[in-house]
Amino acid sequence: MLVHIDGPWSPLLGRLALTEIPYKNPILVGTFLFAVVLAVVLVGLTTYFGFWRTLWRDWLTSVDHKKIGIMYILIGLVMLFRGFIDAVMMRTQQAMAVGPHSAGYLDAVHGYLTPYHFDQIYTAHGTIMILFAATPLLVGIMNILVPLQIGARDMAYPYLNAVSLWLTAAGAALVMASLFIGDFAHAGWFGIVPVMELPYSPGVGVDYWMWAFQLSSIGTTLGGINLLATIVKMRAPGMTWGRLPIFTWASLSANLISLTTFPVVTVALALLALDRYLGTHFYTAGLGGNLMLYNDLFWIWGHPEVYFVILPAFGMISEIIPTFAEKPLFGYMGMVVASLGIAGVSWGVWLHHFFTMAAAPAVNAFFSITTMAVGIPTGVKVFNWAFTMFRGRLRFDLPMMWASAALFFLLVGGLTGMMNAFATNDYMVHNSVFVVAHFHMMLLLIVYAIFGGVNYWFPKVFGFRLEQRFGRMFFWLFTAGTAVVFVPMFTLGFMGMTRRLDYVAFPQWQPLLDIEVVGIVIYVLSAAFLVAQLYVSLRDRAQNRVGADAWGTSRSLEWITHSPVPFYNFAVTPEVHARDERSWRHERGLDDAAPVVYEDIHMPCKTAIPLGLGALGFGLAFALVWRIWWLALLCSGAIVALIVIRAFMTGTSYTIPARDVEKMEHDRKRGAAKPARAQVPGGSPAPVLGGGT
Amino acid sequence: MKGAAGETAGGLGPVMWRPNHGYDDVSTKTLGFWLYMLSDAMMFTALFAAYAVLGHAMNAAGGPLPGTVAHPTHAFTETLWLFSSVLAYGGAMIALKKGNRVGVMAGIAVALLVALGFLGSDLHEVTRLFAAGATPERSGYLSAFFALVFYHGLHVIVGVAWMLVMLGQVAVFGLSEAVVYRLLNLRLFWHFQAVMWVFMFTFVYLRGAII
Amino acid sequence: MGIHVHLRVFAGRDYMTESNHSTFEHPEVQLAGTGYVAAYVAGIALMGLSLMLVKDHALDPTALGIAISGIAGLAALLQCVLLLHMTLSRTQIWQTVALVLFVPLFILTIGLTSWMFHGLYQRTMLRPIAASQAMAPAPLRAPR
Ligand code: HEM
Ligand SMILES: [Cu+2]
Repeated sequence: MLVHIDGPWSPLLGRLALTEIPYKNPILVGTFLFAVVLAVVLVGLTTYFGFWRTLWRDWLTSVDHKKIGIMYILIGLVMLFRGFIDAVMMRTQQAMAVGPHSAGYLDAVHGYLTPYHFDQIYTAHGTIMILFAATPLLVGIMNILVPLQIGARDMAYPYLNAVSLWLTAAGAALVMASLFIGDFAHAGWFGIVPVMELPYSPGVGVDYWMWAFQLSSIGTTLGGINLLATIVKMRAPGMTWGRLPIFTWASLSANLISLTTFPVVTVALALLALDRYLGTHFYTAGLGGNLMLYNDLFWIWGHPEVYFVILPAFGMISEIIPTFAEKPLFGYMGMVVASLGIAGVSWGVWLHHFFTMAAAPAVNAFFSITTMAVGIPTGVKVFNWAFTMFRGRLRFDLPMMWASAALFFLLVGGLTGMMNAFATNDYMVHNSVFVVAHFHMMLLLIVYAIFGGVNYWFPKVFGFRLEQRFGRMFFWLFTAGTAVVFVPMFTLGFMGMTRRLDYVAFPQWQPLLDIEVVGIVIYVLSAAFLVAQLYVSLRDRAQNRVGADAWGTSRSLEWITHSPVPFYNFAVTPEVHARDERSWRHERGLDDAAPVVYEDIHMPCKTAIPLGLGALGFGLAFALVWRIWWLALLCSGAIVALIVIRAFMTGTSYTIPARDVEKMEHDRKRGAAKPARAQVPGGSPAPVLGGGT
Repeated sequence: MKGAAGETAGGLGPVMWRPNHGYDDVSTKTLGFWLYMLSDAMMFTALFAAYAVLGHAMNAAGGPLPGTVAHPTHAFTETLWLFSSVLAYGGAMIALKKGNRVGVMAGIAVALLVALGFLGSDLHEVTRLFAAGATPERSGYLSAFFALVFYHGLHVIVGVAWMLVMLGQVAVFGLSEAVVYRLLNLRLFWHFQAVMWVFMFTFVYLRGAII
Repeated sequence: MGIHVHLRVFAGRDYMTESNHSTFEHPEVQLAGTGYVAAYVAGIALMGLSLMLVKDHALDPTALGIAISGIAGLAALLQCVLLLHMTLSRTQIWQTVALVLFVPLFILTIGLTSWMFHGLYQRTMLRPIAASQAMAPAPLRAPR
């Protein structure tokens, strides 16, 4: 049944051999050296500060939703950086490889990247940015906020939460491994069949892409289940559906999407795996396969996925704007219905990604109309935000700057999306850089919302605000970079430039491509200010400490507990009286209403099993990529064994007696008087985020 | 609950805190598992969609068509096996209602044995087809056909393994809370296979015989 | 994984569950009953009916297809109620809501996919001889 592959294979190492290490490619060698230096520095620092124990006990084995969220965000940031480097390479290659006389370096005829290498770069860029940057960043934020917003101690399944995290991490690690061992897929982030079939892609690249995708997709599905069950089952008393904070509603809608659509992409890729490993004919060009079946299944997931990432972004914007307009959100019910509506409609539009397939006209018309219908709930949201700001007392702190700029990108991205939505028009722009510019507007809207959200909730999680001066510089440069890259890109799209060109045949496009490089340089500069912002924030954290309500005008429930949040979230479960509970208490002068009676708190114990499952998932995927069958069997067996062993374990939770809770709460009150205490994760005495012992 | 003692500091005003607020752990667990089962149903849905797309005569690539591979009468005996196993597991659940540990174990054991009967029958059919040259590599149509058959079979295998584990758990822990919610989850899993089988039987085996 | 406080709330009744003896009094456990036998009988009867209809070619192919689909839908519905306890009771409401939200998506996925490929095949695929013989020749469009 196993497909025969050409080339060397050994029972011990499968297809793996020393020749698979790309030591002749100076770019990859440079990257490798960079990675080694970084690793050495990190290991050195960890050892120097004696951080290993904390790292293991308080982070790697933690099941605390806030720490898991932070780790998700860190993965997202690392991968964002990696994806950004890919973007820099694509922009520079395209600007260098214009016209037949352009010079070539490093084996390339034009520019400095060979076509095969360039193809891997854009594939990696898209895959990473969507699956390993945007998704983990948003999942991380939802992980931190949802339990806090509904007044819960943790997620419904803290252990499963850690499993999701480590599966995502395993997927990200697999993508990174492909840099130095073998190569990566070259068929685009959404994959093109039959190019991905074994005869056309005999290497391991597609396998890397496929298994990394699968790991993260399983992780995200499980995470979706967890968030949904948390929202349904773990709400504090009084937290009725009509009082659910709007970000939680957005998370609910988003995770309805992830729960329902990720299984479909799992199938799409599993069938591809069957084709590549067992020689079936799902997507092959001959013997009864169907190329378009892949596109169909992939985009059934693919379109809803873009809404999976945008809905939490909408949710964050909806939280930030009321705080800085000092008014309740306008049209709460409208927002809720619109979020659910977007989730629903997103399920019926996927064919717009292959209008050009030649489906019957009625089919294209149907999907055109459904696609445009997405504009209705989106419009509702935009007007609600506008009315929230109308006659508000607007304050443009950093979160608000990011959130309001996001609205601008929503407008540009949404309108260009509408242009694509006309099937007739799409025949013109399909696969052009116009489409690329469209979805980058959308994804930038998400990035803006994420930066806004991070600035907004950072003090809640860490207890101090981020610095604002460098932060503003970062904002303005980032925005300038965006404009300078994407205005020319839209223009080139109108001029007919197709996407994914490793060589550009028209010299008249050179100036616009050069401008895009300038934009990329501005982006790089802006990153320096981000680093400065983070550094200064950390250095001056003592001055920037905040109380429970970091912004003075925050509204939802998470702002009534301490900043930084204790590991048990709320000493006593709060009773919820209003949609904007924190404002409700504030208006009645009840800010300091501390509990008079404390209770025993039950918390889940930390465990290394999720980390182990992630590592085994990585091992399994790696073994499958290289067709090392014994290792694949071993890892699968170990995964099953671990799950069964865990089922027979007892004592997986512990109790904190009420008097200890009381003592911690009192210490914290006294601690607030001397703010200089190091409470940064990383600084060792981190009592707040520290998993209890 | 026991007189929520969470008044404001001065003892006046509205209740602000609710000590000893409890959650129903068992139903939280079963809800999550049910959501997982639904996502699994979505995987079946995608496979059924693939089966529909690859069901055109072109997709048989000159090989066997649905009419020749799908054997409704044989599939009906598989139906009997599977439904009977589901019924036996239901018996275990009725025993659980009264806390009858022996009854629970007996019901699971019977369900497990009958499920093995299903697997045997399934295996028999597949070997027959393979022997006749109808393998997944033969055509797009057969790839889709076997994907569904094997995916369903895989569920039954997982169910059998899970039942073995639960026999162990009931033996070791008795009917503790953790065991009870796992038994409930297994019930969802196992009874769900019956629902999926209705669609397998109808749209793969019976439909195949019509065309 | 048990994470919460001692006191559990079971469908409005409160009681302590630190000891194991009462876990099987949970309402979800108490759902089990003779409905399982009814589901068994009904399931086998309905599947048997479909089998008979198909074996005897009791209807023309299209009607037969519709009939067995209808029977399958009925059987699945009965199983959902009797086996999976999809009801509106307090214990089961969220399970039912989740299922009800999913069902349209199942239909949409298969329905829209079939629809788009049906048109695609007509427009792009040469019909193999066996298939085209079975179908009426496609009407030619009159030249204008
Ligand atoms: C008003 C809402 C939107 C409409 C009407 C719309 C419409 C479209 C259409 C018709 C295409 C296909 C273009 C083509 O390939 O020819 C497309 C592509 C795309 N859109 Fe949107 N879109 C909308 C919102 C979004 C959002 C919110 C996101 C992401 C957050 C997004 C991300 C994408 C991506 C990633 C692609 C292209 C994928 C690829 O080909 O690589 N869109 N959009
Ligand atoms: Cu789309």
